[in-house]
Amino acid sequence: MRLRLLVGTLVWAVLAVLVTGWALARLFNEHVEQQFHVELSTHLDQLAARLAVDVDGPPRLDMVLSDPRFERPYSGLYWQIDAMDTQARGLLRSRSLWDYLLVVPVDEPPDGALHAHVVQGPDGASLHLVERVLRPASRPDQALRLIVAANASFVDAPVLRLNRLLALALGVLVAGLAVAVAVQVRIGLRPLARLRDELAAVRDGRGAAIEARFPAEVQPLVDEFNAVLARNAEVVSRARTHAGNLAHAVKTPLTVLANAAAQLSDAAPADASGKPSERALARLVREQVALARTQVDYHLARSRAAAAVGIPGQRTPLRPVLEGLQRLMAKVHARSGFEVEVLACPQGLAFRGEAQDLQEMLGNLLDNACKWAASRVELSAREEGSQLCICIDDDGPGLPAGVREKVFERGVRMDEQVPGTGLGLAIVRDLARLYEGEVVLETAPMGGTRALLRLPRAT
Amino acid sequence: MRVLVAEDEPVLAAQLRAALEAAGYAVDCAADGREAGYMGEVERYDAVVLDLGLPQVDGLSVLKRWRAKGFAMPVLILTARGDWHEKVAGIDAGADDYLTKPFHMEELLARVRALIRRAAGQASAELVCGALVLDTRSGRATVDGRLLSLTSHEFRVLAYLMHHMGEVVSRTELTEHIYAQDHDRDSNTIEVFVGRLRKKLPPELIETVRGLGYRMVCPP
Repeated sequence: MRLRLLVGTLVWAVLAVLVTGWALARLFNEHVEQQFHVELSTHLDQLAARLAVDVDGPPRLDMVLSDPRFERPYSGLYWQIDAMDTQARGLLRSRSLWDYLLVVPVDEPPDGALHAHVVQGPDGASLHLVERVLRPASRPDQALRLIVAANASFVDAPVLRLNRLLALALGVLVAGLAVAVAVQVRIGLRPLARLRDELAAVRDGRGAAIEARFPAEVQPLVDEFNAVLARNAEVVSRARTHAGNLAHAVKTPLTVLANAAAQLSDAAPADASGKPSERALARLVREQVALARTQVDYHLARSRAAAAVGIPGQRTPLRPVLEGLQRLMAKVHARSGFEVEVLACPQGLAFRGEAQDLQEMLGNLLDNACKWAASRVELSAREEGSQLCICIDDDGPGLPAGVREKVFERGVRMDEQVPGTGLGLAIVRDLARLYEGEVVLETAPMGGTRALLRLPRAT
Repeated sequence: MRVLVAEDEPVLAAQLRAALEAAGYAVDCAADGREAGYMGEVERYDAVVLDLGLPQVDGLSVLKRWRAKGFAMPVLILTARGDWHEKVAGIDAGADDYLTKPFHMEELLARVRALIRRAAGQASAELVCGALVLDTRSGRATVDGRLLSLTSHEFRVLAYLMHHMGEVVSRTELTEHIYAQDHDRDSNTIEVFVGRLRKKLPPELIETVRGLGYRMVCPP
């Protein structure tokens, strides 16, 4: 586009300059030639004025002509007087002609009329010449032809000089125009370059929309694009709300069902000889409710993440999420001496993805850590290339290396006494992988478990 | 001990009421956010179980309004969505704990118990006053290991006094915390309950502060 604009403009500029140059040169040429003729005819008038023709003697000049070039041999400016009747050439001539005779084609001009010719000069150069035929009052029978000639170079030299100058000036003008056009195109297209940068920023998750203002020509494009982005986000959030409502609609009845089943099995005596089917039913309901809950939670989390992954323009600052969860955990797991601390989280560190997904991953890991910790949970985050690296350490009993992978399987619970669905870690791993991240369990420096979560970083 | 249950699903609300009453609490129920908000401001509760998805006014707004007006009773929120941001928002609005639906009733009872204990500044699940021990988990009171037989009202009076050991508790305050809203109240019956309790407990544990109320005094 830049090249197209540049070439298009330059072609027109060069054309315009060429036409102008040609017109100017031609105008000047005409002007110079006209001047030249005026000068020649002035000389001719002077020659006629100084010519004295006596009744009997040959014609003679009263005084030499005023222009000194007539006296300098081969100076390029000449005059000559021919007698028309006798065909005597060079009756009188300028000193500058020296021994050369101007040969002028004979035409039949009316007396006194000026006419011009181009002839060969003494040094081979072409001469411009004006002539006029006079019949002196004293000798009306004798027709004299007065000729004034000058080298064509008197005309050509200034024209040539001007043409050179003109070419130079116009060349400079074209070059200047080219630079101006290039700069203009660059400035004119700068909003597009900026737009490209902004789009890249949105893709990298540095902004949710293009916020900068653009010139009126570009702004509609930007607005349209923002509208698409907003619509994307809206679709995701609506899907999410919908899924949430569905979960709500399903889970409350599940709670009711599970509690009813619990009451049933409590009501039946332990050594139920009377109604074994009732106890079995209660157990069945409990199991199925637990399963349904697991499925709802799992697929809810997955579908939500699948909807969000790949949507450009997502950026979630890490620190507020960490601190929010820290407040939550500190309150919910409150027991004496228990502490949840954010050790390190550089300001401006952000996750390239959706806030709820980040909360889901961190919340599950943190909840686990708080359940298992003896008295302390530590959070720290740092950037590692294009990734975020978040560590969640506890000082609990830790996990044997052999089961570290197993706990990521769906429905595996390490301890039936600690409440939970056995789904948390499976969801965390699924989410992390959807975002092309990873979660692993290691041994924490404090002795317990360290959950290490790697996620894409928003720049 | 008196608990408010704000839950719009009638069957679940009934189950919650039954379970909490079985655990020795006086229970009021509110079916929507406006009612819950009003009851929380007018009555004195020792704990609130608050569903976030209430009709009319959502649970979070109800909770924020209570906290803004200075009501500090412990609140357990129930959420169905299970979104962490909702939990964080709940805690930031002033909730003390959350429970995700579907939940086990035993867990809810344990959480409510822990909240009431924490609010009273008690770290242990067992409240001890001399030879008298109240196990909040089982809801049983023993003296020297011997189980006391208490009516539900006697138990509530005892539990309230033991949660506020060393403080003077007025009769009105006791009335407010042992009866559900729709119960016919008579502050004279408090004297009857205290009289019966005194007979079952070691002597001089419950002291009468003239003109003010009662105080639980523990022997050093």
